[in-house]
Amino acid sequence: MNVIEINNLTKTYGKARGICDVSFNVEEGEVFGFIGPNGAGKSTTIRTLLSLIYPTAGSAEIFGMDCIKNAPEIAREIGYLPSEVFYYDKMKVIDVLNYSASFYKKDCSKRIKELAGIMDLDLKKRVDDLSFGNKKKVGIVQTLLHQPRLIILDEPTSGLDPLMQQKFFDLLEEENKKGATIFMSSHVLSEVQRMCTRVAIIKEGRIIKLETMSNLTENNYKKFRLEFDSDIQKEHFQINGVSNLELKEKFISFLFKGNVNTILRKISQAELKNIWIEEPSLEEIFMHYYEKEA
Amino acid sequence: MNIFKREMRAHAKSIILWSMGMLFMIASGMGKFTSYTGSEQSMNDILGKMPKSLKAVLGFGDLDVTTATGFYGLLFVYLLIMAAIHAAMLGANILAKEERDRTAEFLMVKPVSRFSVVTAKLAAALVNVLVLNGVTLVLSIAIVNQYAKGEQINGDIAVLMAAMFIVQLLFLFTGSGIAAMGKNPRSSASIATAILLLTYIISVMVDMNNKLAFLKYITPFKYFDVRQTYEGGLKPLSVALSLAVIAVMAGVTYRFYGKRDLKV
Repeated sequence: MNVIEINNLTKTYGKARGICDVSFNVEEGEVFGFIGPNGAGKSTTIRTLLSLIYPTAGSAEIFGMDCIKNAPEIAREIGYLPSEVFYYDKMKVIDVLNYSASFYKKDCSKRIKELAGIMDLDLKKRVDDLSFGNKKKVGIVQTLLHQPRLIILDEPTSGLDPLMQQKFFDLLEEENKKGATIFMSSHVLSEVQRMCTRVAIIKEGRIIKLETMSNLTENNYKKFRLEFDSDIQKEHFQINGVSNLELKEKFISFLFKGNVNTILRKISQAELKNIWIEEPSLEEIFMHYYEKEA
Repeated sequence: MNIFKREMRAHAKSIILWSMGMLFMIASGMGKFTSYTGSEQSMNDILGKMPKSLKAVLGFGDLDVTTATGFYGLLFVYLLIMAAIHAAMLGANILAKEERDRTAEFLMVKPVSRFSVVTAKLAAALVNVLVLNGVTLVLSIAIVNQYAKGEQINGDIAVLMAAMFIVQLLFLFTGSGIAAMGKNPRSSASIATAILLLTYIISVMVDMNNKLAFLKYITPFKYFDVRQTYEGGLKPLSVALSLAVIAVMAGVTYRFYGKRDLKV
């Protein structure tokens, strides 16, 4: 069953581009990643799904209901964590959370305490005394307190230290095991890689790739940079799977996709001074998809 | 109901401060009454000789300022402006603040329709406006009675408060309408207050110049002239006009807030 169904969703702001013709589905129980650089349209898509803004064309359904017409009904089962969280400054954390809970027709007090304990959050502090990271923690508790069936996260880890990121991801995995569907946007490939089973890549308002995580990583490129003592022939590395080959003085860099043994054998034939092997940045993967499209 | 409660709590401090402002205005204003009455006859003589435009600027009108109700009538204009500013700012801010403080992304993804959010917020604003009106009524009766010397004042004050309530509603919905239409949540309260001051200036200009009498329909400050209200109660035409504006602005509030993209 599809929890989210997006059909040709388009949102334009006057002349400015928002999103264009976005279509994809998120299945029940899935952890779906929505990746793209800043300004690509991730938040616009999410905000349209939540009916904070209205689409120019196209439609979207959540739990089989129209996301604009049935927004309040859908919202009962959604937990949403915005990329930047803002709460009523003069309220205490516990009051914000109780206020949030008051919108759902169930008792959430136990869950609030439980989550606050896990996230190490002081419930008695006032919101305006909190650091950015601590506000984000309030957001996390606020997102999960009513045990939503669909969790929507917009750049979930920004502002969280690695320890808290870990705890948060553990929480999410737990919720997912209990049956919650997770839809998260991010520009950090590693977290998407860790959490998600499927991803959509958005660039300049359009979906350019919809792929399962396993396929994406199998097709993943490694970035090589080699430094040599002696002069080296660029052609030496011109083998299958190598792209973006560049030679700068005594440095050679390229992207490689395929069996790593082949390229390592090739490298070992030369006298190396230094070597860097990196995961390509998301931007580089984009560049790759871009070139393929062109 | 939770939004209503939340708004009531959020505005508790503000309504107390506004009430204290009213107390200060009424107490200090009526305090000057004694200096006017010191030489009764001469005061009315001076006022009689004053040019109409000067009286208009000072807000004197044709009231008999030697009586407690007459003098209170002078003061009332300022109370009315205060109450109207309170209502306009409240109406604009109560809607706009969610976007201004960027809490819209919290509140508006809850299982509530925009219609019920607006309703809850307007209900809270309405109660606040009522409270300020009630406080002003009670304070006015209590304080003016100190100077009344047996004059019957309660009825006069009550009818002015009824007029004030209508003007409050008018500006409350004007404020909420502007916030609902508003492109910029930060400026809605200032736009609402600017409109209010503009209509007040128009009302003073109408007092100064007979040729501008036709403008009296566009300024709520001319709807309920104090002396006419004392003598004949609320003018039906003014009440009807006010209700029409209120209905239109309420419609604008719901329609625009329901249809537009939220600034998040």
